[in-house]
Amino acid sequence: MLKNIQLIFLATISAWTTATRAVEIPPVNMVRIPAGVYRPFFRAANDPKEIPVKSFALDVLPVTTGDFLEFVRTHPQWQRSQVKHLFADDSYLKNWDGDVNPGTNAPLDTPVTFVSWFAARAYAESKDKRLPTVAEWEYAAQASSTRADGENDAAFKREVLQWYSTPAPEKLAAVGRGPINFYRVRDMHGLVWEWVLDFNTAMVTGDSRSDGGIDAQFFCGAGSQGAQNLDDFPAFMRYGFRSSLKADYCVHNLGFRCAKDL
Amino acid sequence: MKTSILVYSTAALLLVTANLCAEESGTNSIHRSCCIPTEAPAKPLTDKSLYQLDSSWTNDDGKTIQLSSLRGRPQIVVMFFASCQLTCPLTVVQLKQLEAALPPKTRAKVGFTLVSFDSVHDTPAALKNYRTQHTLSPQTWTLLSGSPDNVLDLAAVLGVKFKRDAQGQFSHSNLITLLNSEGEIVRQFVGLNPDNQQLLTEIEKLIEH
Repeated sequence: MLKNIQLIFLATISAWTTATRAVEIPPVNMVRIPAGVYRPFFRAANDPKEIPVKSFALDVLPVTTGDFLEFVRTHPQWQRSQVKHLFADDSYLKNWDGDVNPGTNAPLDTPVTFVSWFAARAYAESKDKRLPTVAEWEYAAQASSTRADGENDAAFKREVLQWYSTPAPEKLAAVGRGPINFYRVRDMHGLVWEWVLDFNTAMVTGDSRSDGGIDAQFFCGAGSQGAQNLDDFPAFMRYGFRSSLKADYCVHNLGFRCAKDL
Repeated sequence: MKTSILVYSTAALLLVTANLCAEESGTNSIHRSCCIPTEAPAKPLTDKSLYQLDSSWTNDDGKTIQLSSLRGRPQIVVMFFASCQLTCPLTVVQLKQLEAALPPKTRAKVGFTLVSFDSVHDTPAALKNYRTQHTLSPQTWTLLSGSPDNVLDLAAVLGVKFKRDAQGQFSHSNLITLLNSEGEIVRQFVGLNPDNQQLLTEIEKLIEH
C-alpha cells in the first residue's frame, strides 16, 4: 500500500516536471534565457537599480534577409512599393533590388536591415513572437561565451568595444559566424544593431520634465552621471543610438531578432 | 376631409421613405441611421496618416473608439497621464488658453485629444474626473486610454519617448502634435512653452472656412 502511494507520488511528480518543462522548452531556433536581473545602464533617481527579467525565449540569430523575403511574400503590404510611409521611411529595404528580390546587395544569409520598428514588429507578430525589451536584450547580451556576467570578462569586453568602435562595413557578413554566448545566442554584438520593443523608453535624463535638449544631454558627458557603469562604453552607445531612433527609421546597420514569452 | 387627405398623403410619403431606406440598407451592408444624407464614401487614408493605426481606445464615457473617428477635424494631440502633478496639467492649461484664443468659428472645427500613458490607472472614470477637474468641453476635447501596446505604437508614430519609473509616474517628452484633418502630422511643438501664436496660425491654415 505504502509502495503504491509512493509510486503514485513519483508518477505525479514526474508528470508535473514534464509538464513544467514542456512549457519551458523554447521553440525551434530559439533558446531559453533563464530569469535574472538586469541592471540598467542609465538610471534616474526614481528608477530601480535592478529590473527583474522573467525567463523568455530569444532567437539564436538575427532575422535574415531570406527570412524577411519569405515574410514580405506572404505579407505584401510590407513590400517596398506597398509599405505605408507612416510605418517606414524612404530607406525601407533600400538595398534590395525589388519588392521580392533582395539581389546581390542583400544576400539571403545576411541580417535584414533597412527595416523600421513597425516592420520588425509586424514580422515578429507573423511568427507569433515579439521584439525583446531593452531589459531582455541587454540582459542576454551581457553574457560572454563563458559566463552570464560578461561585465567581469575582460577579453569579452575588449572584443565588444572593438566592434563598437569600428564603422559598419558596406556589405554585412552572414549571420551565425560570431561567437556563441553563454546562453547559446549568436551575433548579439559584432554584426548589426537591433531593434527592441521599447526603444522609445530609452532616455538619459529619466525625467524629461526639464526636457528641451535631450539629444544634447544625451551625448554630453555630463548627461551620463546617471550611468551605472561608466566604463561600459558599448552600453552607452546603445543607449545613445536607441534614443536617436524613430520608429519609421530604416538604417543600414539596424536589424532585429525576435523573442517570445515562455 | 382635407385633413384626412393630408394624413393619407403624409402616411404614403412616410411609407415611400421607409421603403427607400429599407432598399438602401438592403443593398448596403454598412449600417447607418436612416434617411440622414450620408457623405460620399470615405477616401482611403493617406500614406502618412496616423489613423492607419487600427488600435482601439477607450474614452472617458467608456466607449471604444478608433483613432480614425477623429478624422475630419484638425487635432491637437498630447500624450499625458492623469495623475501627473507636473507638466501635464501645465500643458493642459496652455492648450485651454489656446482653445480660448481661437475664434469661435475655428474652435468648432478643431479637436484637442489627450491620450494617456497610464493604461492601469487612467480608467474611463479617472479620465472623466480629469475632464471635470479641468473643465474640458466635450465638444472639443477627447480623452483616451488604451493598452500598453497601443500606447507604445502611438508614442512611436508621434516620436514621444516615455518611461514609467518605480513610483508609477511617467517621464515623457512634452510634445504637442498638430494633425490635419486626415491625421497627418503637420507640426510638432516641443517643450512647456509652445508658441501659442504660432500654433494658432498653423491651425487657422488647416481650417477651411
